[in-house]
Amino acid sequence: MRQGYLILSSGEVLKGRLFGCDGQLAVGELVFNTSMSGYCEIMTDPSYNGQLVLFTYPLIGNYGWDDRWAESRGIVAGAAVVHKLYTGPLPPGRKSLDEALREHGRVGIEGIDTRALTLKLREDGAQNCIICPEERLEEARAILSTFPSITERDLISQVAVREAVHRPDLGDGFSAAPENPSHRIAVVDFGIKSSIIDNFYRLGVDVTLLPPTFSAQEILDGDYEMLFLSNGPGDPALLGAQVEQVKACLGKIPVCGICLGHQIITWALGGRTVKMTYGHHGGNQPVRDLDSGRSFVTAQNHNYMSDMSSLPESVHLWFVNANDGTVEGLYDSTLHVRSVQFHPEAAPGPQDALWIFKSFLEEIGK
Amino acid sequence: MSRRNDIRHILVIGSGPIVIGQACEFDYSGNQAVKALKEEGYEVSLINPNPATVMTTPGIADHIFLEPLKPEYVEKIFQQVGPDAILSTMGGQTGLNLTMELERLGLLAKYNVKVIGASTESIEKAEDRGKFKDIITSLGLESAKSRIVHSLAEAEEARSYIDLPVIIRPSFTLGGMGGSIANTSEEFLPLVEKALEMSPTHEALLEESLIGWKEFEMEVMRDRNDNAIIVCSIENVDPMGVHTGDSITVAPIQTLSDRQYQRMRNASIDILRAVGVDCGGSNVQFAMAPDSDRMVVIEMNPRVSRSSALASKATGFPIARISAKLAVGYTLDEVMNEITGQSASCFEPALDYVAVKVPRFELEKFPLPSSALGTQMRSVGEALALGRTMAEGLNKAIRASERKLEGLVELDRKENDIDTLLHSAHPLRLLAAYTVIREEGSSCLSRISEITGFDRFFLNALYEQSLLDHRLETEDLDLSLLCEAKEYGMSDRRIAQLAGMTAGEVTALREKHDVHPAVHFVDTCAGEFRALTPYCYTCYGEADEGEGLGDNAVIIVASGPNRIGQGLEFDTCCTLASLALRSHGRKTVMINSNPETVSTDFNTSDRLYISPLTAEEVIGIMRKEKCRNVVLQLGGQTPLNMARQLEDWGANIMGTSLEGIDETEDRGLFSALVRRLGLRQPENRMASTEAEVFEKAREIGFPVLLRPSFVLGGRSMFIAYDEDGLREFLENGNVTLSKDSPVLVDQFLEDAFEYDLDAVCDGESVYIGGILQHIEAAGIHSGDSAAVFPPYKSKPEILDQMRQWTLKIARELNVRGMMNIQFAEKDGRLYIIEVNPRASRTVPFISKASGVNLIDKAVRVWLGESLIQQGLVNPETHIGEGRCHTGWAIKEAVFSFDRFVNVDPQLGPEMRSTGEVVGMGRTFGEAYAKSQAASGNILPTRGRVIISVNKKDRKTIVPIARALQELGFSILATRGTARDLFDEGIISDVVLKVHDGRPNIVDLIRNHRVDLIINTPMGFHATKSDDDIRTEAVRSKIPYTTTTSAAAAAVDAIRYLQQKEYVVREI
Repeated sequence: MRQGYLILSSGEVLKGRLFGCDGQLAVGELVFNTSMSGYCEIMTDPSYNGQLVLFTYPLIGNYGWDDRWAESRGIVAGAAVVHKLYTGPLPPGRKSLDEALREHGRVGIEGIDTRALTLKLREDGAQNCIICPEERLEEARAILSTFPSITERDLISQVAVREAVHRPDLGDGFSAAPENPSHRIAVVDFGIKSSIIDNFYRLGVDVTLLPPTFSAQEILDGDYEMLFLSNGPGDPALLGAQVEQVKACLGKIPVCGICLGHQIITWALGGRTVKMTYGHHGGNQPVRDLDSGRSFVTAQNHNYMSDMSSLPESVHLWFVNANDGTVEGLYDSTLHVRSVQFHPEAAPGPQDALWIFKSFLEEIGK
Repeated sequence: MSRRNDIRHILVIGSGPIVIGQACEFDYSGNQAVKALKEEGYEVSLINPNPATVMTTPGIADHIFLEPLKPEYVEKIFQQVGPDAILSTMGGQTGLNLTMELERLGLLAKYNVKVIGASTESIEKAEDRGKFKDIITSLGLESAKSRIVHSLAEAEEARSYIDLPVIIRPSFTLGGMGGSIANTSEEFLPLVEKALEMSPTHEALLEESLIGWKEFEMEVMRDRNDNAIIVCSIENVDPMGVHTGDSITVAPIQTLSDRQYQRMRNASIDILRAVGVDCGGSNVQFAMAPDSDRMVVIEMNPRVSRSSALASKATGFPIARISAKLAVGYTLDEVMNEITGQSASCFEPALDYVAVKVPRFELEKFPLPSSALGTQMRSVGEALALGRTMAEGLNKAIRASERKLEGLVELDRKENDIDTLLHSAHPLRLLAAYTVIREEGSSCLSRISEITGFDRFFLNALYEQSLLDHRLETEDLDLSLLCEAKEYGMSDRRIAQLAGMTAGEVTALREKHDVHPAVHFVDTCAGEFRALTPYCYTCYGEADEGEGLGDNAVIIVASGPNRIGQGLEFDTCCTLASLALRSHGRKTVMINSNPETVSTDFNTSDRLYISPLTAEEVIGIMRKEKCRNVVLQLGGQTPLNMARQLEDWGANIMGTSLEGIDETEDRGLFSALVRRLGLRQPENRMASTEAEVFEKAREIGFPVLLRPSFVLGGRSMFIAYDEDGLREFLENGNVTLSKDSPVLVDQFLEDAFEYDLDAVCDGESVYIGGILQHIEAAGIHSGDSAAVFPPYKSKPEILDQMRQWTLKIARELNVRGMMNIQFAEKDGRLYIIEVNPRASRTVPFISKASGVNLIDKAVRVWLGESLIQQGLVNPETHIGEGRCHTGWAIKEAVFSFDRFVNVDPQLGPEMRSTGEVVGMGRTFGEAYAKSQAASGNILPTRGRVIISVNKKDRKTIVPIARALQELGFSILATRGTARDLFDEGIISDVVLKVHDGRPNIVDLIRNHRVDLIINTPMGFHATKSDDDIRTEAVRSKIPYTTTTSAAAAAVDAIRYLQQKEYVVREI
């Protein structure tokens, strides 16, 4: 394996071995994910656009790669940072993580003390980093020193649809669009995971994907029963235009959202989001449903969160994180708004909150 | 918060003696539960007749009863202390079965006692295989094709539906006892018959064989609000067909895709919900066909288990503790995770390491045919290791299992039939696979995977190891190769073997380059939060976390995996020492590899290391902790074996010095000591050739006892009654003879009384915790013998002599801390058998029976407080002694012979018991009756007794027979015995010996026409013909005694039982 480096913007240089497209550079914000399985789903999650994923679980690639697990058409995360890459034989029909990265033009680095790096990110917060082959160290340092912070980057347009797509085909491994849909909704794509659409399909919902450049008018004029805002990468504070469009829809059509969608809704309702130190990235985050008192273990992937104190009193807290008390979900019954910060579609992670999709749909016709 | 206020006082059921399948994991879980409940302000009572446990230590629960786990005793407890709830889930299968029995007898309703933990309905649903299968089907899940049968006819019928091989599992037995696999139609019916007999409900499950499938376990918790979490997922390296307790396992699951894993996770939670487990933990087992999505549910246990103890240690999440909180009404999100102090309990632990468990077998004591592992658990213990890679985890765990294997090593083809091992579920199968991979490289992986069922993922780890091993053999050991080998979890010794160096040279190279282990914390959250409670492991090549505790701290080296002769007792000593040291203001560091234990509970010590117990690893930890104080005398032989290396490195061994240890362990030095002090020991010689053995044996005179140096649990000991016996033993290849490993030839004191004495010494004085007299005569290992405290048949002058000798030895060796001495008395003469400068198995027993915590006293000696200052000894004589506070306490050994069909249960100098119980009473009879009831030897109160004794015993048996007759028993005797009894005026029916025709003794036993058997062996040659009687008695579960002294004790006990007045006593 080719030797390479992982350089942090704080200056540390970690030595490792490169895999995937091992000649190229990968730059972006380094975040850690504590899931013990599901590297394929994570690497293909468009929300990771602009980010490099550090896996805290030390053995990655164990069961290979199957494109049917992918949450989008390709690998979106900038790179995989792992302790030990599995390179041995695999079940029939699967490729290796190494092969998958090569196919999708991505790089990975192994042999990293991922535990030490995680502790550093925990204490210092997420930061930019770059991965490079040995001989490109100086070039990489230069790039990193001028690389913009994630809050300054447009990450959405690369991963979202450019024009409306009715009944998107999710491909092998997911459900097909329902033949006789019970509902028809507009889904704004900020980098949506296939599993979200899959869950709507399973509930018999007809989905039209709209680009992030959507307007309130087309939503309200269209034959839609709900506006749904998807997950996606980056800082919601950069999405002023989208917030305005959502605001114009409030009260006129039910509005629901997941992750980034939830953050946009927060802004549209008059609130604010703030950046967290290192966010929540993993498959073991407990959230408490304040209405039922029950708790659920959820998959999460976010660096920003809603600031509850910024929201008007008409907005109710739906879920809180049972560990740190942060906002995990909101609703406003008069405006028919409902959103969650976590990922009820899981993929990867626990599927305990799949019922959230039903409760979104219940906003229709209330 | 939602603590239940409708209950006030909770009775916790322990699991009783250690047997295979039910070991110290239940001391761990019960102990956590008791502490958790007391914290919540409940009054807590505990019943457990196992004196070796931590949980029965005074002060842990409010009321502690060392009483048999039988309804009649529990009823007495209900009457005496009035609990209003009973926690059913902490005592293993025994606890569940007792709860069900109390329910059936109506005692729970009668005394208005609520069951908490798992309701009797959910126990029923989970344990009744028919009901459980219906639940699985109703959830849309799959179970293996199966039928419940109650008779052989039903079994024949089921065979038309299920193809061979068929797995046969009796209902309601622990650890899969009585389970088997029928491969041919010939063995099918006999195996079904046996299973039906084993099941208390005469029921068995016949099941499609999933042998070779991948096997998984999920540890799940659920609360009354329907919150549910997976604490830990476990993948078995050994595929289906090997009991999960006998499998090498790894946490978390390694080879499932997220989609497969989530399907299993959902299924687990659905099953708990359907079964109705709503306030505790359960484990659910699955099988998956290799390279397929077919997932089959195997079973669930609605209670804490060995797996949950393992999962707790693998993840840092205290399942039993949280289970206890859920049982009294809390919900998962209300109970904070104490490890992180930040996360709620309803989060799922995220690991950033692999946790590998390797079982520990006693192949020498319970020999296994090559294909012996199966659906019935056979291992006696387990070791856990944490590592950052599979190879690291495997290397460390194999080393930690203390089987003299330096991790992943190739087997010697001369000594092992590799091909047979590969094809059978043998404990060495993984190493057989490694051997082939080492020879053939990656091309053989898929073939090996097909043969063994090991997933290619695990085999690839072996392959990577083989590449590294090859490099170590062929390349120069430079810094980078050395580091790589250490990152693979290899020991210095293993690296040295491969590199052609000495272990010392490799260590020196490491020192030179400053290559030392780093410490990682087990924080349940993969580093996401800062951990508050330090639970650690060491690894190489990564950043080191945390600061050393410094020289105020004391490191305790514990006892490693359970094995015969070294188990729970030692763990209890280590735990008590940690508690004592902390109460005296010292910080403690515990090092252990046994995940079942209380010592590895996260809050027993200030710092806990899960680590193999080797000098190299302990030194690494001492360096890290900047602490040189180390306790070696509480963990049995394992820590003592590393004393020399630790002292050479600069460790400060607490208590007795290395010289003192050597003087007792080296038999030559010990004999010199005995002579110097003018004491007496059996004649003994050393022999290093076969001819020499014969020569020495003749010098001493037969019978002789043969034993090698440095042993524990009496391994390879043998009594030879004459030259033929001696020749037979030597020719069996039991001993390797050489100058370096000589054999000791000792005079054997036939029919002597044996004694065990445990003492604390400070170099000047001795405090004798108590003297135990064995009921069985010399020749039976002290661990296997029933023993009475105080001695019940001894002259005061002999006891006094023991005290004086003890003081002499303690002073001469300058013993500081614990010491155990074994004495024998024959014809009024006292002999010293052995001295152990460490805590013995009986220390917890003596501590409880006398009410004096000996470990605490020893700790105070180490900290500088003399025994006189502690007020324990008479300042004039320098001797003090404990008394049994109830009057009599009897320790009885418990065996797991029923796990090994073809093993003769005859006792001898080799220890074979797996556990022990105590009976305590005001009279000898009460104590003995309870000890027998607790060990499962149910003494009859009426019926027929068979008496067959040897010549020597014909006088002593007379009063016993007369007493039994007076107690209403009818007496059957073999011809000679009957004649002697007749001469004394006792009339008995004559019964035939085995070879005298039929019906004979064995027929009577087999047909349950006998209620008690008194059979003393006829000397060495005759013992062979007695085999059948003993084996049949064990099989038919009929109580038997092999000594007249035990028979006399039984008479006292029967007299007590006939009063039908059960008394329970709090300690």
